[in-house]
Amino acid sequence: MFYLLISPVWSVSADDFAKLRKDSARISTMTADFVQKKSMKILSKPLISNGKFYYAAPDSIRWEYSKPLKSVVLSGKGQTKRYIPSGGKMVEDKTGGAKAMQIVLGDVAGWMNGKYDTNPAFTATIREGNDTMITMTPTGKNMAGMIEKIEIAISQKNASVKSVRIVESATSETQIDFQNVVVNKSIDPSVFQVVQ
Amino acid sequence: MKGLCFLISVFLLASCATLPAIQEPSSAHVKEPILCPFPFLQEKTRFIHTIDVQAAGQTKAVMIGVTVADPASRMFSCAIMSTEGMVVFEAVAGSEGVKVIRALPPFDKPDFARNMMDDMELIFLEPAGELVEKGVFVSGDVVCRRRQEQGGWVDVVAGHDGRVQIRRYSECGALKRTVNMDGNSRDAYKTIELRSAGWLGYSLMMTLIESEMVRDMPPVQK
Repeated sequence: MFYLLISPVWSVSADDFAKLRKDSARISTMTADFVQKKSMKILSKPLISNGKFYYAAPDSIRWEYSKPLKSVVLSGKGQTKRYIPSGGKMVEDKTGGAKAMQIVLGDVAGWMNGKYDTNPAFTATIREGNDTMITMTPTGKNMAGMIEKIEIAISQKNASVKSVRIVESATSETQIDFQNVVVNKSIDPSVFQVVQ
Repeated sequence: MKGLCFLISVFLLASCATLPAIQEPSSAHVKEPILCPFPFLQEKTRFIHTIDVQAAGQTKAVMIGVTVADPASRMFSCAIMSTEGMVVFEAVAGSEGVKVIRALPPFDKPDFARNMMDDMELIFLEPAGELVEKGVFVSGDVVCRRRQEQGGWVDVVAGHDGRVQIRRYSECGALKRTVNMDGNSRDAYKTIELRSAGWLGYSLMMTLIESEMVRDMPPVQK
């Protein structure tokens, strides 16, 4: 009985995810500012980063950090490139950083399309409330020691992603909040191609 | 086989070098006693730096580093994360050695943690070991040389331009690391350059984002 009182209304049916996919299909573009708060035991307060996020359906993403460190990730058509500052200009990162981001952004593009339950590496559950909350838990050992879970808050208003919380361990997590979200407004295609 | 032994011997000899000579200060300096440069931490401090990893003159990676260093206990906590917030390495080091909390490839390689903690110690803490010599280099730069307890040598050099250079040498005098920093000012850790010598040499350019003193909470009285 106590469990029933404190337990939120959970519905993990395929219909819920199908509805999310349908709602998300109405988003063709999205731009937003984001604030990232990194919390760790070694830090006395969260380390704040910020930047700009761009998305155009079906899979074009520009994830641009401006502070405290510049970096740009462009993703689309199955390719991901990461750019880092070097000698006053942005150069392509040829190390493993881009590969890691390819995995992450592949998922982000899927989320923007409402595909939360299609990655076999995660089990997704959905909870309705003021915002729709998706919790993704790694299924295999690939993510063991890297990610414990990912929580994604979806706006009930327009099905856009409001925030992402990545829990790495009991003492380390990353919270990304999207602000000034604008959907379905035309974005110049060069945004997804050019880094200066 | 003899040829191989000869080559190895030549390589080992080439790896060694003579430590730079330290001279008595010239008569102009004699009036004032030589003060050893001291850019090192005096209180437990937390630093957050951007780290630009360069090799062959090109940037290979940019990351964010968090360091908590305590000069009293000579203990360190260290974390490296990507711009995107992914923690790729976290460890603590102290008198009981290095304890790795998290290490994702390629930061999980053997010796990475030990080498990194040694580098952090070189940058932030006064070198341990006996002061064996002080004077000036041929250039006139003031230098204090210490013999490290675990072998090798550390020179702390005050340049004419006010900057401080720390050099670590192997037991046989080969230069292993060079650290360049702002000097005895409170901005000493604003920009730090660490260079690793050798064929696979690299450099770290560290730029301060923020720093703060760390006050440990006193134990709760019961």
